[in-house]
Amino acid sequence: MPVPVSQMWTVASYVVRQKLRRRKHFPVVLMLEPLMRCNLACAGCGKIQYPAHILKKDLSPEECFKAVDECGAPMVSIPGGEPLMHPRIAEIVEGILARKKYVYLCTNGLLLNEKLDQFKPSKYFSFVVHMDGQREHHDFSVCREGTYDKAVEAIREALKRGFRVTTNTTLFAGADPKSVREFFDEMMDLGVEGLMLSPGYTYDKAPDQEHFLSRKKTRRLFRQILSNRNKQWKFNMSPLFLEFLMGRREYRCTPWGMPTYNIFGWQKPCYLLQDGYADTFEELIRDTKWEHYGTESGNPKCANCMVHSGYETSAVNDTFGSLSGFLATMRATIFNRYKDPDVDNFTTTTPASSGPLVQISRSEA
Amino acid sequence: MSDSKLSNSQEKDEKLGVVHENLQGWVPSMASDEEVRGAFEKAFDYRGDLTITLKDGQKIEGYIFDRRADSPRLGECIVRVLPKEGGRVTIPYSDIAALAFTGKDTAAGKSFEAWVKKYKEKKAAGEKNIGIDAEPLD
Repeated sequence: MPVPVSQMWTVASYVVRQKLRRRKHFPVVLMLEPLMRCNLACAGCGKIQYPAHILKKDLSPEECFKAVDECGAPMVSIPGGEPLMHPRIAEIVEGILARKKYVYLCTNGLLLNEKLDQFKPSKYFSFVVHMDGQREHHDFSVCREGTYDKAVEAIREALKRGFRVTTNTTLFAGADPKSVREFFDEMMDLGVEGLMLSPGYTYDKAPDQEHFLSRKKTRRLFRQILSNRNKQWKFNMSPLFLEFLMGRREYRCTPWGMPTYNIFGWQKPCYLLQDGYADTFEELIRDTKWEHYGTESGNPKCANCMVHSGYETSAVNDTFGSLSGFLATMRATIFNRYKDPDVDNFTTTTPASSGPLVQISRSEA
Repeated sequence: MSDSKLSNSQEKDEKLGVVHENLQGWVPSMASDEEVRGAFEKAFDYRGDLTITLKDGQKIEGYIFDRRADSPRLGECIVRVLPKEGGRVTIPYSDIAALAFTGKDTAAGKSFEAWVKKYKEKKAAGEKNIGIDAEPLD
C-alpha cells in the first residue's frame, strides 16, 4: 500500500464527516501555488505564461497559512511554478505540517538536491517529482536535456535521507505505452513510494496546442498502459480514478474537490481552468456557478478533461460515500493486475495531430 | 468502435486545443457594449500585459487576471488588474476609454514543434545541454 494507513484514515474520516454534515462542496486537497515562475519552460504547461512582474510575485507564508486554514482540506499539494524557487518554501511547508496536513511538494527535481537540507522527513510530507517518462521522453517533454538525470539523482538522495517520494507523470498524445510501462518499472526500482499519472489538460494558455488527448484517446492510452500491470507498480492515487482513466467507470466532475489558491486569489472553478478569481474560499464555493463546469455541463473547455483535480475527488467520494464504492475500491486494490488479453500494451495508437513526439536523444543524436 | 486489439485500431485524429489570435499590439474598437465585452474577454485570456486608458486620461499598464461581466449593465461589469507598479485595482468597464494589447504574448511561438526545430538546429551545431530557457524576469 503506497499511502500510509494514517493518511488514508485521515482522508476517509474527513470525507465521512463531511458527508454526515451533508456538506456538498467540500475540498479534499488544497492546490497551493505560492509562485508562478519556473526554471523550465515546458511547451505543454499552461501555468507559467505570465509577464515578468507576475512571475516575480510570491505568496507569503502568512497568505499560504490563511488559505490552508480557510479551506480546511486534509491534504495540501504545492505545485507552481517551481515551488523550490520560492525563497521561503521551507517555512511554508513547516507551517502547514504544523497544522497536521499531509503535504505534497511538487518539483521538477532540478533544485531538490541543493534544497533537501531545508526539509525534514515526515510521514506528513512527500516530494512529488515531475517525471514525464523515460529519459528521452522526459527531456523532450520538459524541453531541456539532462533534466531526467538530475531528477533521478535528487530522488535517490531524498530516498536515502528518509523522505517520502512519489513521481507525477503527465501524458500527451503520442505517448508510447511501452516506454511508459518501462518507466514505471524504473521508478519502482528506484524505490519511490508510488506513481501519479494524469492526461495533459487542454490548457488554453499553454504554448503548445497540438498534443492534447481527447477523452477517447485518454481511455485508450490508459487502458493500454494500465492493463496487465506489473505486480510491483504502486500508484499513489485512488484505484477507482485509475479505472476512470481506463474507461471502466464514469464520474461527474467535482471541480471544488481540489480548489486552487495562488497570487491572484481562489481560482474559479478549478486547478486547471481559469475563469476568474474569488477573494475568499467561502466566496469561491458560494459564487462559482458550478453547473457551468464539468463534462456534463457542455462547457467546451471541460469536454476532454479527465484530470485528477476534477475527477479523483469524485472517485474518493465514491469510495467513502457508498457501500458499492467502498467494495469496488477494495476489489480494485486486491485484484490490481487488470489482466486483459485484448490489450496490446506496447504499440502507440494515439498519434499526435501534428507529427510524432520525437525522442530527443535516442533518435536525434 | 471496439476497444479490442487496440494497436490495430484506427481513430480519427481529433483536433483539440485553441488557435491563438495574434493580439500583440492590437487596439480593439470599444464603440459598442458588445465590442467592450468582447475586448475584455480577449484581454482576460491574453498571456501578456495590457494598457488601459481611463476616461479621465489615466493609463494603467498591467495584467488582467479577472473580469466579472455577468451583469447586463456595463457599469456593473468590472475588470481586475495587477498593475506593473504593484498593488491590484478594480475598474468598472464604464470607466474605461481604451484598451491596448501592449505587452508581449508570453507563450507565442513556444510549441513542441518550435522546440523540436530549435533542438535540431542546436544539435546540428554541436551544442550540448540543449533546452528552452524560461523567460528572463528583468
